[in-house]
Amino acid sequence: MKFVNKILGLAALLTVANFIGVSTSYAADPWAWRATLEGTSSGQAMSMPTALYVDVERQRYYVIDSGGNRLLSFSREGGFLHTFTAEGKLQIPYDMVRDEKDLLWVIEKGRNSLTSVDVKSKEITLHTLKEGDRTLVPDRMDYKNGQFYILDKASGEIAVIDGNLSVNKWISCPECVSGIVDFKLTNDGRLWALDQLGKKVVQFDSGGALTKSFAVGLQVEFPVSLAIGPADNAYVLDRHKGNIAVFDAQGEFKYAFLGKGWSRGELYYPIEILFDPWGGLCVVEEGSGRVEIFGR
Amino acid sequence: MLHYHRMVVIFWLAVVLPGAAAAAENICFDCHDKGSFSGNIVHQPLADGQCKACHNPHVAHFKGLLEKEGADLCYACHGKEKEKFKEGLVHQPVRGGKCLACHEPHASANSGLLKSNLDKICFSCHDKLPQKYGHTHSPFAKGQCFACHRPHQAAYGQLLKDEPDKICQSCHKPQDLQQGHADYPGQLRNCLSCHNPHGSERKGIVRNVLHAPYAKGCKDCHDQKGTQGNTQSCLRCHEKVATEMHARHSHLTGKGGNKCVDCHSPHAADEKNLLKGSQVEVCRACHRDTMARYADKLYKHPEAKAGTCTSCHEVHGSNRVAMLRGDGNAICTQCHETQGKFTHPVGEKILDARTGQMVTCISCHLPMGSDFKNELIYSGSKDLCVQCHKRY
Repeated sequence: MKFVNKILGLAALLTVANFIGVSTSYAADPWAWRATLEGTSSGQAMSMPTALYVDVERQRYYVIDSGGNRLLSFSREGGFLHTFTAEGKLQIPYDMVRDEKDLLWVIEKGRNSLTSVDVKSKEITLHTLKEGDRTLVPDRMDYKNGQFYILDKASGEIAVIDGNLSVNKWISCPECVSGIVDFKLTNDGRLWALDQLGKKVVQFDSGGALTKSFAVGLQVEFPVSLAIGPADNAYVLDRHKGNIAVFDAQGEFKYAFLGKGWSRGELYYPIEILFDPWGGLCVVEEGSGRVEIFGR
Repeated sequence: MLHYHRMVVIFWLAVVLPGAAAAAENICFDCHDKGSFSGNIVHQPLADGQCKACHNPHVAHFKGLLEKEGADLCYACHGKEKEKFKEGLVHQPVRGGKCLACHEPHASANSGLLKSNLDKICFSCHDKLPQKYGHTHSPFAKGQCFACHRPHQAAYGQLLKDEPDKICQSCHKPQDLQQGHADYPGQLRNCLSCHNPHGSERKGIVRNVLHAPYAKGCKDCHDQKGTQGNTQSCLRCHEKVATEMHARHSHLTGKGGNKCVDCHSPHAADEKNLLKGSQVEVCRACHRDTMARYADKLYKHPEAKAGTCTSCHEVHGSNRVAMLRGDGNAICTQCHETQGKFTHPVGEKILDARTGQMVTCISCHLPMGSDFKNELIYSGSKDLCVQCHKRY
């Protein structure tokens, strides 16, 4: 009987220890591969894609195939639709948006231009962005309420630009070690940005004032892009580790998932991360020439 | 009565046993010449006759009958240092656990059990550093490396003790500095932008190579308030660099109005590209994690080992991933001509089954460093091949 009691006691102890162990470990990764956007259906694999634009109205994905100097569109389900090459005129396209007039605005690194493309009339217009004698070097972009948000690589600041392409406001991060490397706008007007060398996520209110920041350096080596999920969780893409680190709204590390590699569900030189409106977490992989979409 | 005897025995053991142990340690010196273990400074365990603190007298796994290997042995006592030496930038021998690169384990004539004079130890590895200049900075000439550097780890680049300007001002009084720089526009700062802290052939240890506008004066780049020109003010003259910057990836990055001065000195430097330090030092200033990740890999490409990053990477801008100078084949076959002609099929017509991308040398090799021979990404015996050849 004594022996049985001992075993029962030990079992109870192990159960408690196990419970403590589980409750103190990090949350598990809930993400699973859902689809891959790839260029082979167009007859040519993508070469160094750099960005994804999600057209909510048309329920389409647009992938900027930077090395192929073209834009590829895909259905919401991930099926390939069209290739747009602008008759071979694009020079290192890098990022894009579509405005309410149906114009595509493409950042072209090769010509340092915010290029407007009217697909119907096939009219392409180059715009070099300037403020006084300062020439902007557009890198990342977004569009909201008739305003362009352009990350100026030359200063690491975000220029808020009106429809006439005049700079209305600058959003800068005084506490960042390096300039901003990526940003995302949320529906409530806040802007989240990433300080690459400072390894920090920063948040600005709709007026452009810095309201919050937290460090991600213990988990991240080379942050290159961020996405903001439900409950303000920040998803930070690590280009060198090939993974995604997730932080809650207070900046507490929750978990990391994916890893460096070439197979499905692995990332090789990823460059951008964003949420689509259908719950998908999209990762643009420059190194593997594809966009992988993950879902819960 | 029994209680009394027990007390006596305990007292006897307490007094006699430590002495007996020390006496037992002294047995070591019956064979090992004690004179070889003497010096001004003797390592505490040895001074206490505790040879067994490090050595096993009978058998051990490691050479010298040591209980543990490398730094693990030292950290068994110096536990606090183990944690401290993980912070910030860590000196390579420390990171590699090679305490004996600088320290003697038993005894030494030098404090800190150093193997020899400080400068001799430092120059034994830093052998490319000139030991003497036309004008040599006094602490450097005296071999006082620790006047500016820390030996194990530091929060600042080049293992500096503090921010460079603060180190300079710890000896050079501000009023003296101001007198010597009467024409300096604005507040004196960034001493290393003009001066080599070890020495140079120029008076005032101004670095040997001067930026042409600086040689003429300050006005080409600074306004009357001393404000420096922005990136574009550099690129107006350096047009080729401006073109290189218009690429998919560029080093036109970071905070502030002038990105060029992150890597280049606008005033004076030790070599013609006006870099702020050696290539690897300049790159490490931002890519510290990358360097650390590959630092202790078993196999490293000679160029990565030598720190000549520009052999493979562009420095201003590149349309390639990782800012490579060419695609993953062209860049390797610059040197590895034979492998370019006779190897696993590579090139535009050979596609990686996993991604549909062109198979290149870097599909299998990781030149920055790997734990597998020939800098392979996975073990070459099988693991590497089955990545693509699933039925192998």
